[in-house]
Amino acid sequence: MALAARHAPAAQAPAASAGGRGPLAWLRAFSRRLTGERSFLRYATGVAALLPLLALLGIVAILAAKAWPAMKLNGAGFLWRSVWAPGSTYGAPVKTDGVLHPVGAEYGALPLIVGTLASSAIAVLFAVPLSVGAALAVVEKLPRRASHLLGMFLELLAGIPSVVFGLWGILTFGPVLSRDVYPAVASIMPDTPVLRFFRGNTGYGEGLMTAGLVLSVMIIPIVAATTRDLLRQVPVLPKEGAAALGMNDWEVAKKVSIPWVRAGIIGASVLGLARALGETMAVAMVSGSLLGTMPANLYGKMGTIASTIVQQLDGAFSDGTGFAVRTLAEFALVIAVITLLTNIAARLLVRKVATTALPVGRGV
Amino acid sequence: MMTSVPVEAAVSSGDCPVTVGAGAGGVSMQAKDLALGFGSATVLSGLDLEVGKGQLTALIGPTGSGKTTFLRSLNRMNDKVAKHWHRGDVLLNGASIYAPGVQLMALRRRVGMVFQRPNPFPMSIAGNILAGVKAHRIAGKEHYRDIVEARLREVGLWDAVRNRLSSSPFSLSGGQQQLLCLARALAVGPEVLLLDEPTSSLDPVTAGNIEEMARALVPALTVVIVTHNLAQARRISDQTVFFYQGKMVERGETAQLFEDPQQPETARYVTGRMG
Repeated sequence: MALAARHAPAAQAPAASAGGRGPLAWLRAFSRRLTGERSFLRYATGVAALLPLLALLGIVAILAAKAWPAMKLNGAGFLWRSVWAPGSTYGAPVKTDGVLHPVGAEYGALPLIVGTLASSAIAVLFAVPLSVGAALAVVEKLPRRASHLLGMFLELLAGIPSVVFGLWGILTFGPVLSRDVYPAVASIMPDTPVLRFFRGNTGYGEGLMTAGLVLSVMIIPIVAATTRDLLRQVPVLPKEGAAALGMNDWEVAKKVSIPWVRAGIIGASVLGLARALGETMAVAMVSGSLLGTMPANLYGKMGTIASTIVQQLDGAFSDGTGFAVRTLAEFALVIAVITLLTNIAARLLVRKVATTALPVGRGV
Repeated sequence: MMTSVPVEAAVSSGDCPVTVGAGAGGVSMQAKDLALGFGSATVLSGLDLEVGKGQLTALIGPTGSGKTTFLRSLNRMNDKVAKHWHRGDVLLNGASIYAPGVQLMALRRRVGMVFQRPNPFPMSIAGNILAGVKAHRIAGKEHYRDIVEARLREVGLWDAVRNRLSSSPFSLSGGQQQLLCLARALAVGPEVLLLDEPTSSLDPVTAGNIEEMARALVPALTVVIVTHNLAQARRISDQTVFFYQGKMVERGETAQLFEDPQQPETARYVTGRMG
């Protein structure tokens, strides 16, 4: 009210001077009130700018409030225990530390945290080199028409719903891998500390490796399309300089083009990683949905936080004490924090790389 | 006429007489009826031209006369340009550089290039010097430090960058960046160095440094420089070639071409009445 009163004279002045033009003058006065100094739009844009921050804080706060009783009961050990026991929903619920829960209810997040991080790591490990390769091919190698076509396919791939990827993973991709690829890989791997995880029972196509590979197919379009756009920005002069020095195409890419956009490629990879960390449906379909136990090896059944939340939600509502749902909220908090930390780490990495490698400074 | 063996000896001893083309210095590069273009456009035609070994040859001519395109044909940098075509041939020490089986990468090691604007790679200063050395596996790791120092000293950049060899070249001034690019090109040990208006983006003092350096490279190297700066061409070159509308109009010893041009177009250009 006060605002309107203060600005009324300013708004009326042009209306009065252009009095003869009726509705047009009114419109002008109205638009001035909308866009002028300290106008409604200014406040609106200010609020809009704050919105992402408010949304983030709000989501975390609400999750934390929902999860609080579960956090109290599960304790810090929640993060490093490997157990999934909803407890008995038939017996009378008990109260521990003021938190009502079914008898024998006990949860640990470690297998799901490991599953989330491992499947996403596999996805990024496969997707980033493939994406950078595809982007290089599109920008540097392929004739215009082919590169246009490949770009179109990339965008189509990005638009496929994740449930379709999941179905393809469980019906085709996983079985083929477990029949033709995994056994061969497992048989040649030596029994050394890290490679040991490549050995053993290769399963039927549901599990960590399949989930990681399906995820990698899902994030390739994101990483590849971004990298392609970045590589198009690399100036021609340093590339010509490298060619004139007798470098072949691969060396030019390795020494000039990729370093030129390294920070951007890292950023694109993090976008992909974030998608992989949070991907729910496709993983739920191909992971094997193992609860409370670590995956036996790289092919073993597993679960991720996101896929477990969606798969367990229905069952959790049957827990009359609400403890199961609160624990799922705690899982949600964990995945939110993981994503947040990943983003912060990526930001730091991008800043470090950007200050050392990118052409900023005098000359040229 | 000398035979080829004493010519080589003369060149390596730095005792190379400055004469026209196929004279005592021998021919380093030679264009034979070269025509070149992109798509339907013909940029160069009917070009017969010899570049004297151990000499500094300047290519002059108005914008669009084809001198840079010709320069880029000497190390086949035009190959990658869309719809590029050529007829005729270019020889390096008598052998065609367009012949099947010619290794492009090896050719470019022998015929180096410095561009119109500095184009350092996004890696450290030392990394820039070593980029070509590593690509061609010229020396082992244990020699890297010495190579970096020697090449930077050669272009007079060592004292300015000795304490920041591992930092980004983009913090250097434009002139220093261009000197770095020159050092980088020299580090792979080329026989011929192509300079495409190397001083056009630099201040007069740095430009003067680069000129002196180019002058000091002959007769150990053969240098071809494209320049719009007639005074520069006159100061530093042994031979000058005048290009006009995609054709070589005149070629001769620099002093002669500037003082007593044989063709009316050359006369008009070098006296500033054209271009």
